[in-house]
Amino acid sequence: MRMTLADTVARLRPARPAFPEPRSGSGGADAPRPGPGRRVADLLRDGGRRASTVTLVLYALALGAGLGLLTADYATRGGYPFGGVRVGAWTAWPRVGSPGADPYARAVNARRGEIPLTIGEGMLLTADQDDTGRALDAACTYAVAGVTPPARAWTLTVAGRGAREPGPIPMREGFTATEILRETDGRFVITLSPEVQPGNWLPMPRPRGPVRLALRLYDTPVAASAGNLDRSAVPAITRGACAE
Amino acid sequence: MSPRGRFLLATLAGLVLAGLVHGVVVLLIPRLSETDALSRARSSEALDHPMPVNTVSAGDAAGQAPGQAAGQAPGRAETWLPIPDPSVAVGLCAYDLADGPMRVSARTGPLMMSLAVHGRRGAFYAVTDQAAVRGALDLVVLTRAQYDEALANADEDEVSHDVRIVAPETRGYVVVRVIAALPSQRPAADAAVQAVSCTVDSPAEDAKPGG
Repeated sequence: MRMTLADTVARLRPARPAFPEPRSGSGGADAPRPGPGRRVADLLRDGGRRASTVTLVLYALALGAGLGLLTADYATRGGYPFGGVRVGAWTAWPRVGSPGADPYARAVNARRGEIPLTIGEGMLLTADQDDTGRALDAACTYAVAGVTPPARAWTLTVAGRGAREPGPIPMREGFTATEILRETDGRFVITLSPEVQPGNWLPMPRPRGPVRLALRLYDTPVAASAGNLDRSAVPAITRGACAE
Repeated sequence: MSPRGRFLLATLAGLVLAGLVHGVVVLLIPRLSETDALSRARSSEALDHPMPVNTVSAGDAAGQAPGQAAGQAPGRAETWLPIPDPSVAVGLCAYDLADGPMRVSARTGPLMMSLAVHGRRGAFYAVTDQAAVRGALDLVVLTRAQYDEALANADEDEVSHDVRIVAPETRGYVVVRVIAALPSQRPAADAAVQAVSCTVDSPAEDAKPGG
């Protein structure tokens, strides 16, 4: 089969040697593509015509290995690709520590050395955008206000994306449920801002760039039923003034 | 078949191969990783006590945990966790059940504590200090065979408060988390993590010379 294919190609090859010449300027009838796309297509077609079977097999292997490795690296770099439950501006990750976690979450945990919270311990919620969907920016002031789902303890932490930048550790990176100043009805407002603020001030961890919030609920009953969380049960993130 | 057809066929084969490689690599990453928590926990030199992963107290306060914290670099810089919780002290005990059952003993204090047992696939057991009996929390992680043996050897009259957990795999780690709700409690949280003991239960009758 492979021999006959190679023979066919060998016979086909001299049959149309003049084909590439008139195609360059006129835009061939079979390829009405825009400029760069057509050039790539031409290149591929020329390559395909000249390639032997061995070259094609090597090409397929290289394509498979390269593309497979690149996509695997991309999918397991940074945060969990899926498995989250959206609650307002927050994303809850109830299953990333359980044996039922998807393979991507396990790979992400292994690559980062993360020790995820399990259902019996608590639950992690992250937010990288405010309630209107804009990305959290270190130059802006945000109000994180409301209540948290029931939990024995919770902590709210702010961090930049990626690894921590070298330098002095900021004096405050988060609040715990005990430290917070509350209104008389139990609600609270945490002001996330680069400037000093009254009340619960959480300083921005970096001068510019995207930041994200992590809300960790410890010993919480909602971990087993994160899908039932209502957006009024998690703190709202409202954007205030932004420095230019 | 035309050359273009051959090329398309090769591209298609490459894409299918890419899918296979992608899946296999993602599934293999946890097994091959050298930076995951289990591999790091197994390299720990801390004997019978959790390896401090995330200490929350400032550098000089680490001396309050007698002995064990002395060899560690002070401060929070040592942690490898991507976004560590600055108010939760974390410690790890790696276990290998081929050496014998693993006993984790914790004394509860004023601070909230949780223990979670992780295997390679994820955590299969977690408990907080609210489950403690008279201020003590004893977990014994064992294999199915060791569990059966422990049941057979159990003394009927003796009341045991051990929580016996059958592990799906022989290797894993136990995570100890202690939450310091206030900054003044952070040294106590580090000390509470270090106060947990993780020991290999010596078998009552030396059935196996291993260990």
